[in-house]
Amino acid sequence: MKIRLLALLVALGLGLGLAQQSNLKACFIYVGPIGDVGWTYAHDEGRRAAEKAIPGLTTQYVESVKPADTLATVDRLVAGGCNVIFTTSFDFMDQTLEAAKKYPNVIFAHASGFKRAPNMLTYMADFYQIYYLNGLMAGALTKSGKVGYVAAFPIPELKRHISAFALGVRAVNPRATVNVKWINAWYSPVKAREATEALIAEGNDIVAFTEDTATVIQTAARRRVPSFSHYNSMYKYAPDYVVSGQLVDWSVIYIDILKKVQNGTYTPKNLENVDYWWLARERAVMLGAQVGMPINPKFEPALKQATMVVNGKRMSVYDRVMELYRDIQSPNPKWDPFTGPIRDRNGVLRVPAGRRMTVKELNEMQWVAPGVVGPVPDEPK
Amino acid sequence: MRLEPLPNPSPLRSVGVTLLALGLAFALVGGVFWAYGLSPLEAYRTMLEGTLLDPRGWQEVLRRTIPLLLIGAGLSLAFRTQFYNIGAEGQLLLGAVLAAGVALFLPLPPALSLPAMALAAALGGALWCGLAAWLKNRFYVNEILTTLMLNYVAQSLVIYLINGPWRGKDVRGYIYSDRFAEYQQLPVLLGSNVHWPTLALGIALALLLQLLLFRSTLGFRLRVVGENPGAARYLGISQSRAFLVVALITGGAAGLAGFGEIAGIHHRLIEPTQLSSGYGFTAIIVAWLARGNPALVLLTAPLMGLILAGGDVLKVSFNLPFRIVDVFSGVMLFALIGSELFLRYRLRHR
Repeated sequence: MKIRLLALLVALGLGLGLAQQSNLKACFIYVGPIGDVGWTYAHDEGRRAAEKAIPGLTTQYVESVKPADTLATVDRLVAGGCNVIFTTSFDFMDQTLEAAKKYPNVIFAHASGFKRAPNMLTYMADFYQIYYLNGLMAGALTKSGKVGYVAAFPIPELKRHISAFALGVRAVNPRATVNVKWINAWYSPVKAREATEALIAEGNDIVAFTEDTATVIQTAARRRVPSFSHYNSMYKYAPDYVVSGQLVDWSVIYIDILKKVQNGTYTPKNLENVDYWWLARERAVMLGAQVGMPINPKFEPALKQATMVVNGKRMSVYDRVMELYRDIQSPNPKWDPFTGPIRDRNGVLRVPAGRRMTVKELNEMQWVAPGVVGPVPDEPK
Repeated sequence: MRLEPLPNPSPLRSVGVTLLALGLAFALVGGVFWAYGLSPLEAYRTMLEGTLLDPRGWQEVLRRTIPLLLIGAGLSLAFRTQFYNIGAEGQLLLGAVLAAGVALFLPLPPALSLPAMALAAALGGALWCGLAAWLKNRFYVNEILTTLMLNYVAQSLVIYLINGPWRGKDVRGYIYSDRFAEYQQLPVLLGSNVHWPTLALGIALALLLQLLLFRSTLGFRLRVVGENPGAARYLGISQSRAFLVVALITGGAAGLAGFGEIAGIHHRLIEPTQLSSGYGFTAIIVAWLARGNPALVLLTAPLMGLILAGGDVLKVSFNLPFRIVDVFSGVMLFALIGSELFLRYRLRHR
């Protein structure tokens, strides 16, 4: 009788153990509202796609979490049974690390940061290559030679994106400038609108941006100024004015991470060196005004007409964009926008000839490329 | 049906009307839950379970109670005197600014640092509100407008400072100040964010202000000014002085709340919206609920803290939109202000 009871207990324990393997609960802590049409919305799309793609996975999210509330939110999520927690903003970095120490058996994944632990990995889908392609198009389409740029915070990520964009603009139009306005907010439609209107009033006839709303596109379209989609398909907000843009698909990263957690590849002990730095090659980012539309057909004729010189050969900007886009999607891309020699806007050589910037350098980049106009905080002299 | 004025509403009526207003607010928000596809009973049950029946929940409630207690106690005094300070948010921020200034730039012996920060914070908040009182006394400028507008000035000041002269050294492009030293951080209850010295300060302040209001000559003057300005003038009680005193007290209390937030939780000067979560505005409801009794804030502040923390529980448990907390506070204030009518009037059939 006793033995039978013991056997039953063991079986139950085994069963529970197995159940835990398949009972994967992934929880997401978002910095903004999921309706922001930007960063948080994109992460939430990724979450939903992952839930569909992975059997046995349940998910949960909390939106608009203040960095100071991160730890309290993690407490609640862990109590609710989450075994994987994604914190999707740079601001959450220190608190995520603290939480990882507090809950050594929970797996943490922090987006866009650089601090890791045995149970905390980092991940990022980065746009810098795509920004260069958009820069090429902006350079071809501007008539005034002034390209506007609405930017959130002067952090390395944005400096990298603005610089790649400016390198693209200057590759087509060596005298053009990229005029930057910082709004010091990820989500502030009011500030984004004010900045866009100011840029247009100052003579910029095409605008790009890095912040989390569709405001720039809507404001620019009202003034008949073309713009670039950021983060999500924003073509629908202004079909006549969105040229192209950079789009993200976080689901490829989320599915990869969660599958590897499910099959035991990732454990709370071996993540110290796991850093996802996924680009167009992994299909984490795309070029497009919307998914499936790399370039708005309305702008194709103008881009085919505009030409640029590449390695002594004249070719249309359209062909150059397509050629580079094919390359960065291939398994072994030959091209990268940050291939030396590159000087910063003060003339200091930052990338020597024949070398590419490393991921670490890209993540810590403080200088900006020539052509960027406007004050840039923390710029090295 | 007609309304008949009640010259002297009894305290019982006051409690009854307040409870009814609260009940109406909870019912209305319940309707919102229901429209969202969530059973109101289950929502409220989860809110209570996640806050009152959970030690972690208690911490969250207490953490939010602290600033509400400090500001609410001061505001209930101000509202009693008919000095409508809507700028506690800005006064909180200015308190935080001065406290941060002392922490970052004033070389003091470690033992003196925290008290000096608290003092500076109280002074900052008091002066910010005193400015509005001075404008009211000297130029008859409506304090509702000035205190409200000074909120935005304070916000911009904080942003300017952390974006410019006070910007930290290793912030990687984000905007906040350097971190305070260990000895410049308030002690917290073990493993939580509850900075208890400020909590004790808030409780003491609420009791002290109650004594001041009902057991002192100054308190008597304040009440007369608030209830009958004409009589006050007749008695030779200076209205301007009453306003100034009240402004300094309520502003100082809000400044202390700012000190608690940055010395107890954030440990650096950060963006205004992250710094305070709108405590200065939520505290208006806290003070209104207390109907001019600072000591009653000891009940109403935890109630609002419960709703704020409970809103977070709902966010986590049911993926409710984060605005649900704002809906809560809005409906509650609406019901409370609407109920004023029934405090001073009686409904008569025919």
